Amino acid sequence: MDLGNEVQKILSWTSVCGNLALHLIWLIVHLIINVWYSALGIARVVENTLISSGLLKSYNAINISKVRYLAVVIDSEEARQTSKVLELLRWLASIGVLKKSQTAIIEGLNKSQKATASKIKSQEAIVEGSNHGTLVEHVDLEFVSFADSKPAVAKAANLLFAKHYASTILEKPNFTESDISEALQAVGYGGPEPDLLLVYGPVRCHLGFPAWRIRYTEIVHIGPLKSMKFGSLIKAIHKFTKVHQNYG
Amino acid sequence: MALSLHFQQLFHSPTTFPSQPKPPTTLLTTLKLPPTPSLPLLAIAQNASLSNIDKVVLPLQLKREMMPKHVAVIMDGNRRWAKMRGFPVALGYEAGIRAVRKLIELCGNWGIGVLTLFAFSSDNWLRPKVEVDLLMGLFERVLEDELEKFARAGIRISIIGDTSMLHKSLQELIDKAVKTTKENSQLHVVIAVNYSGQYDVVQACQTIAQKVKDGIIEPEDISSFLVEQELQTNCTDFPCPDLLIRTSGELRLSNFLLWQLAYAELFFSHSHWPDFGEAEFLEALCSFQQRQRRYGSQGS
Repeated sequence: MDLGNEVQKILSWTSVCGNLALHLIWLIVHLIINVWYSALGIARVVENTLISSGLLKSYNAINISKVRYLAVVIDSEEARQTSKVLELLRWLASIGVLKKSQTAIIEGLNKSQKATASKIKSQEAIVEGSNHGTLVEHVDLEFVSFADSKPAVAKAANLLFAKHYASTILEKPNFTESDISEALQAVGYGGPEPDLLLVYGPVRCHLGFPAWRIRYTEIVHIGPLKSMKFGSLIKAIHKFTKVHQNYG
Repeated sequence: MALSLHFQQLFHSPTTFPSQPKPPTTLLTTLKLPPTPSLPLLAIAQNASLSNIDKVVLPLQLKREMMPKHVAVIMDGNRRWAKMRGFPVALGYEAGIRAVRKLIELCGNWGIGVLTLFAFSSDNWLRPKVEVDLLMGLFERVLEDELEKFARAGIRISIIGDTSMLHKSLQELIDKAVKTTKENSQLHVVIAVNYSGQYDVVQACQTIAQKVKDGIIEPEDISSFLVEQELQTNCTDFPCPDLLIRTSGELRLSNFLLWQLAYAELFFSHSHWPDFGEAEFLEALCSFQQRQRRYGSQGS
């Protein structure tokens, strides 16, 4: 009996120790993972700060000419933060994206934000002109919404039908990509294909940006607009300038 | 559990790497790789509805109610994978085939309804002829070898893209594969061959214009919904992917399912396609399940 009790006590003690040890290992693993991700977060913040301050020389000289057409998609919920949206536009202007025959295509803004953004664009243009004493080169700011995407293609299809099928000509035409592009232009929904598309929002998704125009567009998810950083923007553009595309 | 075991055993069937794929190519000559171990095949799978998510066993990290119905994959990086290891390009593609088999197995095991694979873009014809012939030969060989297994596993095969430019024998094989597996419903595998997202929209517009001319529909009926009905992905119950995965770290769609990916979660994996396995797929699914999707509307 005593031996049985002893064995039972030893087994019970072993079990408790074992559970404690496993629990301790679990906590240590969690701690290591938390420390690792915290370190990554700190490194990211430090990198963003260094990029913003211009201390990282590799980010100072960006070949901005490679970004002829830049698109920005802002989540509808995030786009309510008007001050953040306008700050983003000012950053883009300061980098030089809104200069020299480049186009910024922006999706997700409401009417009043579009009006304010247009004012900022023209104010920046005027400031540039007065500083350098030269005429400001053409700057384009294009605003798109869901209507520019799928409904636009439906309108283009309608136009193509009217142009090619509604006539008395019996021969069946073969539509090509250029026919659709021309039709989109004719119905007022044409536009360039952006080289780079920046997505500001919680979801890594282009939120219905005109599908016809993003065939080979580089899509970069920056993150929520409320936590946007100038360094992240520079880094995304810099990374794009290093990309090599095969186009098939 | 039975369903999970079935897919696992089916896809560990004997497959040896041939010394030379057909049609003849100058790339592969005497390279031989160890064959994958063979396991006995199971009996013919019972047909089940696409909504078999309740029957499957998922890894602990995944939530059943948040599994994507349609996953699309751009299988990029086969050549880079081979180059990094000093292998010929052909071996990269062969390794990529293994990854495809694994992914189909996982999708079947985890109850995903539709899997779309971007096998060959219409822009890929610009590649060297030797490489294009290699890819076509590989596709034909794999389809021929795996058709019976797909049929037994309850997998439905569909092909999207312009198949008229493919070799006659491949076209016939594709027709046979599509017809043979038409009634299957365990998993729908859609393979995009000679596919262009822009051309998909073009042919949809063409079809609609012809239908209006034929009096089937009125001009006022032309809408984005109608265009979507005429896209090549109308062969499936869930034409729009919930999740797009692209491997090799490239951050673009490359003319793939442009219309259909409007609200898809875009997951760009850094691993090359031959290295994309269960862990990477799990990571993509977990990332998908963590997002709050609003589909353009304002959230609750």
